[in-house]
Amino acid sequence: MNTTTHRPLHRDLTLLRHQIRYEQLSFWRNPQSAFFTFVFPVVIITIFGALFHDVPAGPYFQGLSALQYYVCTIAGLSVLGSCYSQLAIVLSTRRQDGILKRVRATPLPSSMYFIGLLAHCIMVSVVTVSLIVGIGSLFGVPLPGHAQWPAIVVTLVLGAASFCALGVGVASLIRNAEAAPAVVQFVLFPLLFVSGTYLPIQSDLLNGITSALPVKPFNESLLGAFARDADLAWQNLGVLLLWGAAGAVVAIRRFRWDPRPS
Amino acid sequence: MTSGAVVVADLHKSYGAVDAVRDVSFTVEQGEILALLGPNGAGKSTTLEILEGFRTRDAGRVDVLGIDPGDRATGRELRERIGLVLQDIAVEPYLTVRETVARNAGYYRSPRDVDEVIGLVDLAGLERRKVRTLSGGQKRRLDLALGMIGNPRLLFLDEPTTGFDPGARRSAWQLVRNLRDAGTTILLTTHYLEEAQVLADRVAVMSGGTIVSEGTPSTLGGRDSALARIRFALPEGCTAAELPVAAAVPDEGLVTVQTREPTATLRQLTGWALRRGSVLDRLTVDRPSLEDVYLRLTERDVAERTMDGSAR
Ligand SMILES: Nc1ncnc2c1ncn2[C@@H]1O[C@H](COP(=O)(O)OP(=O)(O)OP(=O)(O)O)[C@@H](O)[C@H]1O
Ligand SMILES: [Mg+2]
Repeated sequence: MNTTTHRPLHRDLTLLRHQIRYEQLSFWRNPQSAFFTFVFPVVIITIFGALFHDVPAGPYFQGLSALQYYVCTIAGLSVLGSCYSQLAIVLSTRRQDGILKRVRATPLPSSMYFIGLLAHCIMVSVVTVSLIVGIGSLFGVPLPGHAQWPAIVVTLVLGAASFCALGVGVASLIRNAEAAPAVVQFVLFPLLFVSGTYLPIQSDLLNGITSALPVKPFNESLLGAFARDADLAWQNLGVLLLWGAAGAVVAIRRFRWDPRPS
Repeated sequence: MTSGAVVVADLHKSYGAVDAVRDVSFTVEQGEILALLGPNGAGKSTTLEILEGFRTRDAGRVDVLGIDPGDRATGRELRERIGLVLQDIAVEPYLTVRETVARNAGYYRSPRDVDEVIGLVDLAGLERRKVRTLSGGQKRRLDLALGMIGNPRLLFLDEPTTGFDPGARRSAWQLVRNLRDAGTTILLTTHYLEEAQVLADRVAVMSGGTIVSEGTPSTLGGRDSALARIRFALPEGCTAAELPVAAAVPDEGLVTVQTREPTATLRQLTGWALRRGSVLDRLTVDRPSLEDVYLRLTERDVAERTMDGSAR
């Protein structure tokens, strides 16, 4: 019998592809997750497009047209939904239902389980962000040029990874899965507002505070990558990564697979 | 090497003030079925989950297929070789039956064939059904399929047939026996004594966190050397004192005679009845059932619980 612990890379890659495939299946079949993480931002950008498509560029929207601004912040919102909210809710529900424990009973390494989830969330984010950008272009927002793509990809991947880590961190702290959606929304909703997702914030004091929280730096990075000079906003990305790291530390220390830990 | 597939010595586990498992020692030999019996809260699941690597132990030695389940470094290798069904059903609701089994098959180095396993647990024909729409017993059978998909050498089954209809239970028994005959070692828990009787090579009874008795289903608790029990309805117009042998006071309307020599005693009784011209209605001869022995062995535990319940 082969008892060596060395794992060929291609076996791990096959396993990862397998895992992502089934995460995708579970996700798209679950009407609740598909609706909230996917349909919701798409509906919002369509409504905003209908409302604001003829608002011209001005200082209120940081020198951008209203819809240019909203394409970026709603793209940010959709990444938050696909990564942070989805993971926090799905993982606490799966734990409560014993599904995480069941996965733990198989030889699938836990690192592989999480890498699979991360890749799945990034893929969902990419799909929703593309849709949002596409809908924006229908309302006259110019599509990003070639030079902008590297910054966009880096921003999206780092943002998605950080919000995934935060989602897993929050799932590690939530004890009761019924409370998960409420806890997640309770934190997120006000934070979205003060971070300028729905309205640009003109207060310097508020902007100073929210610059240290995770949502505004992500919005700013997206605005920079999509709508401005395509430079990477390293300072903002740094803040985001710090939050991601904090989430990862909580997750590593506190994550539980068992619904009734001993 | 003749050491068992599972060796447990002086195992201890407490949850805060609750001593769930105390001083438990047993061995499961390669290729046998051991059934762990015991009342609710006896510590069966705790013992199993320690062996499966889900829970840490406070003290004792545990060896599962040569691996210490408490050692994280060998966890993946252990899980390659064991299969398990937990007490609580846990299956992803939005996948189909086939997808669920195929997904888990992909986690193992050398899994069994997906469709074969679906057939073995009697779910053939339901492959494309969403798990969410399955009945409780069907979900449980799917869970059993997940337990065996990795082609394990050792299978842990925590109350595997709870919620099965009688037909499904019988076919699950046959399945478990076939696995055993193919060389799989099986450690299971159950509250169905008939299941332990027909399935297990050996049984161990747990009560209050310890093993109170161990043996084969037919010898447990001295069952084989116990007195035979003759029961019948007392003939009309006759008292127990008139019987030719000593008899216990009628219980549920039946006289009970305990005897070491059932053949001779029966002859005395039937001869007496024929001479009087009466019949011994509802006549049976048996030995204490596994259930009788089990209830006697776990009496203390039950008594304690009743005390707790009535305490003001
Ligand atoms: N996670 C836990 N935290 C605290 N106490 C626990 C935990 N799990 C089990 N217990 C306690 O440990 C004791 C043994 O529980 P266990 O689940 O092992 O019993 P069991 O024999 O499997 O019972 P059942 O037949 O009802 O499944 C019980 O008193 C139970 O309340
Ligand atoms: Mg149990």
